Amino acid sequence: MDQTSPDSAGIPAVQTMTGADADAAETTVSVTGLWKIFGRKVDAARELAESGAERDRIQAETGCLVAVQDVSFHVHAGETFVVMGLSGSGKSTLVRCVSRLIEPTFGHMEVCGTILADASDTALRDLRRSKMAMVFQHFGLFPHRRVVDNVAYGLEVQGVARDERHERAREVLTTVGLDGWGDHYPQQLSGGMQQRVGLARALAVEPEVLFFDEPFSALDPLIRRDMQDELVALQLELQRTIVFITHDFAEALRLADRIAIMRDGAFTQVGTPLEILTQPADDYVRAFTQDAPIAKVLPACSLMRPVGDVAVEESWPRTTETATLESALPFLLSAHRPVVVCNAGGDPLGLLHPHDVAAVLESNLR
Amino acid sequence: MSQTAEAGPAAASPGAVRRRTPFAVGLAAAAVALVIVGFVASVGAFPESWNLGLADPIDRTRRWLINNQTSHWLYTVLLNPLTDLADAGIRQLEAVLRWFPWYVYPVFCGLGLWRVRGRVAGTLGFCGVVLIGMTDLWQQGFATLALMGVAVFLSLLAGIPLGIAAWRNDRFAGVLRPTLDAMQTMPGFVYLIPFVLLFGIGRVPALIATVIFALPPVVRLTDVGLRNVPGPMVEASEMFGATDRQTLRLVRIPAARPAILAGTNQTTMLAMSMVVIAAFIGAGGLGQDVLRAMRDIDVGEASEAGIAIVIMAIILDRFTRGIATLGERGRGQEPDAHAGGSLRAADTTAIRWIAAATALVALVGGIVGHNTFPEWLQWHYAPYINDITAWARDNLYDIGNSGIGTGPLSDFITVYMVTPLRELLSSGIPWPAMIGLGVLGGLLARGVTLGLGIGVALLGIGWLGMWELSMDTLAQTLVAVAVTLAIAVPLGIQASHSDRFQKLIDPVLDFLQTIPSFVLLVPVITLFHVGRIPGIIASVVYALPAAVHYTDLGLRRVPAEVHEAATSFGATRWQRLRRVELPLAAPELMVAVNQVIMLVLAMVVIAGLVGGGGLGLETVNALRRSDAVGRGFEAGIAIVLLAGILDRLTRGVADRLRPPAAA
Repeated sequence: MDQTSPDSAGIPAVQTMTGADADAAETTVSVTGLWKIFGRKVDAARELAESGAERDRIQAETGCLVAVQDVSFHVHAGETFVVMGLSGSGKSTLVRCVSRLIEPTFGHMEVCGTILADASDTALRDLRRSKMAMVFQHFGLFPHRRVVDNVAYGLEVQGVARDERHERAREVLTTVGLDGWGDHYPQQLSGGMQQRVGLARALAVEPEVLFFDEPFSALDPLIRRDMQDELVALQLELQRTIVFITHDFAEALRLADRIAIMRDGAFTQVGTPLEILTQPADDYVRAFTQDAPIAKVLPACSLMRPVGDVAVEESWPRTTETATLESALPFLLSAHRPVVVCNAGGDPLGLLHPHDVAAVLESNLR
Repeated sequence: MSQTAEAGPAAASPGAVRRRTPFAVGLAAAAVALVIVGFVASVGAFPESWNLGLADPIDRTRRWLINNQTSHWLYTVLLNPLTDLADAGIRQLEAVLRWFPWYVYPVFCGLGLWRVRGRVAGTLGFCGVVLIGMTDLWQQGFATLALMGVAVFLSLLAGIPLGIAAWRNDRFAGVLRPTLDAMQTMPGFVYLIPFVLLFGIGRVPALIATVIFALPPVVRLTDVGLRNVPGPMVEASEMFGATDRQTLRLVRIPAARPAILAGTNQTTMLAMSMVVIAAFIGAGGLGQDVLRAMRDIDVGEASEAGIAIVIMAIILDRFTRGIATLGERGRGQEPDAHAGGSLRAADTTAIRWIAAATALVALVGGIVGHNTFPEWLQWHYAPYINDITAWARDNLYDIGNSGIGTGPLSDFITVYMVTPLRELLSSGIPWPAMIGLGVLGGLLARGVTLGLGIGVALLGIGWLGMWELSMDTLAQTLVAVAVTLAIAVPLGIQASHSDRFQKLIDPVLDFLQTIPSFVLLVPVITLFHVGRIPGIIASVVYALPAAVHYTDLGLRRVPAEVHEAATSFGATRWQRLRRVELPLAAPELMVAVNQVIMLVLAMVVIAGLVGGGGLGLETVNALRRSDAVGRGFEAGIAIVLLAGILDRLTRGVADRLRPPAAA
């Protein structure tokens, strides 16, 4: 799997990747060599970009903007894949190309086994109706429709009868905590509630793949935090394939199974949150990790070692697999013993050693 | 106002550094040479011998058309059946309207206005409709309403699909938009002439002229509304696999609904004003009564019919606006500032019950036949108006022989403003110099295309033999524009600085704007008798609301931060106004000037009816006498050319004044 772009080819690639050995059969979203070049001389622009030219130079010479440059990734079923990049990095263009809301210039996309790149309008429509859905940054709600009609929109387009689609819509509204708000109009709701409507609308069609285009960045920080927690909880239950776009590194760490860092249209590094934090591919990625509240973000289980043949003592402190590193810190600091990470049933899964935690925290300070 | 499609070389980036082509320099030199030669040779007015003589062939065509109306295939196969169909449609609608018992109308209008605007409006609406009946204008009202109803229906039927087509196809929009621009610069009056030529007088040419005149707003606003549907909404719809048709039907059109309804409101109001003017060509209805009374200078009669028209116009305006805002309010959006207070739940219930009861009674009443307004309710106030008019003429015309009053005011405007300006334009400045100045103006305002266009248009006016009449109309227009701006700009400045003042004048301006242009002449001739001055005064009143509104709007658009910055440097209020606000609002002020010119011109033309002279008189004559159609046609073209010149020139200047756009 190609996880580094040509310009970072010299940097040692991160080796351990949860999805790397994922079987092709369970890959839900697969993108290979995707390019989006705005302008007319696309071939010239591509050649320049492949020879390593900077974006500005390409624009000056060809008048073309290379928004997405040779991006490849594969997301397997049930995985949350987060693309993180600053504004102008091409991440929104990328997600629109993958869902073909805009046409990519070159590349191969496959969603749920359907090759998207040259799908007919009808095939594309069928795929959108049954397999994918998207949540938008500014919600994209329909102000002239009640909340329930917003949520039922995807079903209405499919031709589902009124009573049936309303019933389904109200069910989903309950799932996202908007029970009883169906008869309001979206603009009567707060921003956070509006995005719940957006989420409900996407969930109502029971998609296999969910695209999120910076869904929480228009919300204020506290609401954003709540929404992130709820998405994590929802995902534990629903196990959808998610492609999530964000400019917020902390958000990426909280939600992702894997993160792709995007810069100037290309992926700089792809890896699990732990890999990104502990082995940043270059200074650009390192700059993000330095500000990251690593102990708050990393789960305790991410640094644990297998129990192996160590005899777990009754007196050792215990923590759960979903707990953050931070919550384990007091135990680690108060006694020089490993902390036992247990699953929900209380069985030990692994041991968290003080020196591993110290090493990670130290590397984060550099 | 919409953007023009003018394609001069400097048009691409207004305010940016202009690149002078050698051709433009040459044209400017030629224009200057024309001015000099004109003055040196002092040739005066446009030579009559250059007249193209368009009138005769048009008159011949007209005679041929009249003679063949019953025999030629063009009529027997195509036009006459069409005429009959349209006429039958109007007749049918009128019959339906008349079938209902009379009391249905005041009750439903009252209830409707109560629903959309509140109790006061409802009561006024009820009384207004009763008043129309009391003054014995019931039948005429239905004639007007039926013609208008059919016209609005046809305008929407054609206009909304045209708007959708313009939104779908950029190339079509590229052709359509300048056409709509041109249509909107033409005074309503002018639309009547070609249809009279083709159909003679009657309701059908009136209908066609009205449909075409009222078309632009709904087309434009449908197009704009669809284009302004937020991108994410459309993306969301597409992402759920909606077909293009589904997205259009379920998302785009509902989202564009407020714009389309605003267009419908404007179209309705234009149709109303046109239907009234169409009385000139035998459309009948209330306009006919105003027209007849004005010819007899019976101000009382004219007032009764005129007020009936105003009542109808206001009710239609508030209704069509109300429908738009009701939908918004239902969705919890900020109610429109004009929408009035919110409605109490008890009111809603009361309205439902009364409406249901009336509907039931209406059915019975219609069958029994309560369909004429009862005679015992009739009451005419025309005599009182005539008394007031007589009193005004005796007492206000020259108050106590002191030289103060409407008479001396009218003399003052005539002697010191209109007459000298007319003489200056028509003979004082030699015609080649006039053309040279026009070309120069166009060059400076926008570029070569406009300069050449203005030159050709002015020559065209001369070739039509309409030079002197056009200069007369131009002089009246300029005087009226100057007077309007002198009144409107201070009002607009005051309104922008004081919310209280704005709230105070808003309803007045709103009311003035709803009055169809033609009806405005009635009160003016009460005070100023006939001649050029009532036309000018009516123009000022007609154009005032738009001028105040745009001035206010322009000044209010200056950001508060800029105000604060100016104040923080110790600027006085006057300094701030002169050095900061007015320059920043300059483009909007120029738009105000543009609007004022177009409104004034439309009114000055109509004022031909009350002795305004100029191009208007020729047009009026054409509509009155079939032997004057040729002259009228020429005058109509001259009006269109004049309107086009003034419109493009002022819009060019407005664009020039705009600060350069951000890179």
